[in-house]
Amino acid sequence: MDFSIRAANVEDCKDIARMITELAEYEKVTDQVKITQRDLEQDGFSKNPFFHGIIAEVPEQHKSKEGDGKTPTRYSTRQMQVFGCETAVASDKKWLYLCFLGKGIGKALMSKVAQLGLAAGCHQLNFTVLDWNKSSVDFYLHQGCTDVTTDMGYHYMSCKGEAMEHLAQP
Amino acid sequence: MASFILRKAEPKDVSDILRLIKELAKFEEMEEQVILTEKDLLEDGFGDHPFYHCLVAEVPKEQQSPEGYTVIGFAMYYFTYDPWIGKLLYLEDFYVMQDYRGLGIGSQILKVLSETAVRTRCSSMHFIVAENNTKSIEFYKRRGAADLSFEEGWRLFAIDKEDLLKMTSK
Repeated sequence: MDFSIRAANVEDCKDIARMITELAEYEKVTDQVKITQRDLEQDGFSKNPFFHGIIAEVPEQHKSKEGDGKTPTRYSTRQMQVFGCETAVASDKKWLYLCFLGKGIGKALMSKVAQLGLAAGCHQLNFTVLDWNKSSVDFYLHQGCTDVTTDMGYHYMSCKGEAMEHLAQP
Repeated sequence: MASFILRKAEPKDVSDILRLIKELAKFEEMEEQVILTEKDLLEDGFGDHPFYHCLVAEVPKEQQSPEGYTVIGFAMYYFTYDPWIGKLLYLEDFYVMQDYRGLGIGSQILKVLSETAVRTRCSSMHFIVAENNTKSIEFYKRRGAADLSFEEGWRLFAIDKEDLLKMTSK
């Protein structure tokens, strides 16, 4: 199947927001999605972007059922954050419509992220995966990734909302 | 009771920052994995586009360490992005030299970081902790942090430079 990979632009934010919601549905956490299309536009495409995105796109004839028929419909997005400390490239979330799995698109996206990271001088790519997401876990292990939580016992912690505000109190 | 100040790191601090990074890595029994140099820290933290931010804790000369150090603690953090909730503050390294613990320096560092997160409209602060570091885990949990690996099944994955290169050539 023909597909192309390119950098996301501000017009893609509507599709990116849609796919974030769909991925959250798959991960059964829709109620946790607070981000809007406007947030993505402001945070990703202003003078100091907080994230970068790459998009996989298929031509008109392969568009999904929801496509509007006017423009090629985008099918996948990956967000990449470039870190400085361990000079790691981290990416979070990847989503492919089920009908487009097995066509090499996921691998191509990951390869593009790897290229961008290496070009920026990064030594490592870090990301998190849910332990029950067996197909993703298998995909990443097959690409040569290691499960740092299992192998080294590192736990991913979060301090949010009220807890964070409480910490900030004098 | 030691008096101390917390301040934003300056270029002159890179030597102390690297020393503390190595001390923390030694505590985690991974000192040989620190390949970062002072030059990297200078370029990556104090150039046009800083990849990290740093807070340092400093004591007056009268309370310097036996080796003559007055910078006795630090926190390294950067801003990253979550597709569900937007801006995050990621706490990468956080360390206070052994002789200066129990004086409230760690708590104060965390408070300043939380204030920074709230001021920059971050939804959450994320970080990783080794599961055998029970003292640190308890310190964070007392302040309302959640263990996402344990509670939600998130596993941290990593892929290093060698495998990133393999991915780009496939």
